[in-house]
Amino acid sequence: MRFSIQRESLLKPMQQVVGVVERRQTLPVLANLLVQVKGGRLSLTGTDLEVEMRSSCPVELGEDGETTVPARKWFDLLRALPDGVKVDVQVKGDRVVMHAGRSRYTLASLPADEFPTTDEIEVTDKVSLPEGILRGLMERTSFAMANQDVRYYLNGLLLDLRNTELRCVATDGHRMAMSETALDVPVKGNRQLIIPRKGVTELLGLFEASDDVVSVEFSTNHIRVRRGDVVFTSKLIDGKFPDYEAVIPLGADKVVQVEREVMRNALQRAAILSNEKYRGVRLEVSPQCLRIIAHNPEQEEAFEEIEAETKVGDIAIGFNVGYLLDALGSLNDERVHLQLRDAQSSCLLRGASSQQTQHVVMPLRL
Amino acid sequence: MAVSPRKIVHVDMDAFYASVEQRDDPALRGRPVVVAWKGARSVVCAASYEARRFGVHSAMPALRAERLCPQAVFVPPDFVRYKAVSRQVREIFARHTDLIEPLSLDEAYLDVTDCKTGLPSATAVAEDIRTAIRVETGLTASAGVAPNKFLAKIASDFRKPDGLFVVRPREVLDFLEPLPVERLPGVGKVMQQKLAELGIARVVELRAVDARELERRFGRYGRRLHELSLGIDERPVTPDRPTLQISSEDTFEHDLTLQDLAPHIERLAGKTWAACEREAAGEHGRIARSVVLKLKTSDFRILTRTTTPAERPASARGLAEIACMLRSRVSLPPRTRYRLVGVGLAGFVDRDSHEAQTELFHRLA
Repeated sequence: MRFSIQRESLLKPMQQVVGVVERRQTLPVLANLLVQVKGGRLSLTGTDLEVEMRSSCPVELGEDGETTVPARKWFDLLRALPDGVKVDVQVKGDRVVMHAGRSRYTLASLPADEFPTTDEIEVTDKVSLPEGILRGLMERTSFAMANQDVRYYLNGLLLDLRNTELRCVATDGHRMAMSETALDVPVKGNRQLIIPRKGVTELLGLFEASDDVVSVEFSTNHIRVRRGDVVFTSKLIDGKFPDYEAVIPLGADKVVQVEREVMRNALQRAAILSNEKYRGVRLEVSPQCLRIIAHNPEQEEAFEEIEAETKVGDIAIGFNVGYLLDALGSLNDERVHLQLRDAQSSCLLRGASSQQTQHVVMPLRL
Repeated sequence: MAVSPRKIVHVDMDAFYASVEQRDDPALRGRPVVVAWKGARSVVCAASYEARRFGVHSAMPALRAERLCPQAVFVPPDFVRYKAVSRQVREIFARHTDLIEPLSLDEAYLDVTDCKTGLPSATAVAEDIRTAIRVETGLTASAGVAPNKFLAKIASDFRKPDGLFVVRPREVLDFLEPLPVERLPGVGKVMQQKLAELGIARVVELRAVDARELERRFGRYGRRLHELSLGIDERPVTPDRPTLQISSEDTFEHDLTLQDLAPHIERLAGKTWAACEREAAGEHGRIARSVVLKLKTSDFRILTRTTTPAERPASARGLAEIACMLRSRVSLPPRTRYRLVGVGLAGFVDRDSHEAQTELFHRLA
């Protein structure tokens, strides 16, 4: 196997795949990238056995063949080479030699047939929509995913396919974010899929805020997205997402309308004096007024009072300030609604004039 | 087969605070030293053995100590230094066992039944600890070795200072027999008086009384007295005893009315609140749900009032408000004066289970 290519032309596909390579691997070959040359095209693949990224580009002087190369070292070397240099890569025995100008690097390789790849998947469902819209849905919800929770099905993002509608939902059990969009091309039937956390991160890196239509394919246990020269494949989390619709507080009828940026700024200030571990803030609502109070172990106090459009009398409720800030940050609207019931019940946050994105936040006991 | 007896060691530093002062200031060595704050109402925190010869002992009013021993050197306590030494001593204990139950800065129970160092006996462990304390801190400690906590504690007092006393399992009954009842835990002046009225002054006499009779007279404690008289005490050595109450209290220069207490309650609430927040931020993350107000009248009557509000106090100010409110539950005549007030938080619960974040989905077990 041999190929020649401009440094920058190789860096681009490499950047797209190197992110999935974990720093610690269960198998030595997972530290490597699969390198394949066939018919004048180079293809690079990285995997952690859950998420696989493959990217390809044309090469000059191709000699077909395949091998695997240590991902991190190769990437770091390539980045450190001067701009515009042409690199030549070829297999020599169990080594891979890279020439660039007067530099020569010899890297260890492992046989390509040891590298696990996902074969063709059997597509059962397919969704097509502008990638900017899908990216937006994911951005507005993915922050709420759990991380290494024993409820493994929370460590990912739910795609809820509902015929003419796609909804993204994420929750860590304390708060939940959901955002939806109408589909121009309806999907047949309903289906729920959970993309693992890492897959979500990679997809967010892949999608741009464009109107180009992207196709997302699903098999029973995989998701695959082809975008340009990149193929993203991820296993789906094999589990049942909790009944998220059941925890949307329909009975939260105490509506408080505030200016989003005003509340966000006040919370950001108050957060500085909240307990570092629990990050609790207290919200007190009275007619036309929302107070935000925070304390820390040093007995310092933050007190904010902001204008609120509300008829609600006395209600006091505690929240993790981080959850409120995440929710407000994910809404676009100038004015937002906080819908409450009592100090023990969850709060619904949404735009004052839109229901596209909604957040449910459970309170802290005061 | 009988369960083999436990091996408990009680280690008690000798005149701890005073000894630390004498160690760190050669000018104090050999002289009577009294550790106490200056002030008309301060009490003695510790007295060196030289001072004890004049009848000075800890918890005695400093003024009285001054009268008993006018030549004594009075030193204000420096708890930062005492704590540092205490930590050093605890590290010595930890070489032998993880089952360490500190009672205060200067004493602790150790369960050395399964000793890490593999020394042949608890006596050897106790000697090893005493030597290490002497070499590494320059201070002396006394130790008691026994099959349970209360005997170990009595024993550590037996050869004080710088002594070791061992109560072997088969010697327990003989050891207790001649002891005066006030050596038993829980027998103070009042109980001693009540027992004396029954003609009981020593443990051997207590042992002769029927258990049911003791229980009838003294309730649950009567049963405990009976067990103690037989040398029975099953209480385990419990490391890391969870905090039960955090409080701050203060005795005034001049007695005050209930009304005058407010600023003091606010100040003490601040101290208590700060300590509680440290507890809440600590490893166990525990929070208190009850507020305690403690008062001592000018004639030394102690009363406490406790409440558990639906919403726990959220700040020092909130704590002070609740504590001030508790004054309304004191129904002594308005002319009553108070010499002490304390503000405490109690009823600790796990923050994670009680205060923390509530859940969206009910977790399945």
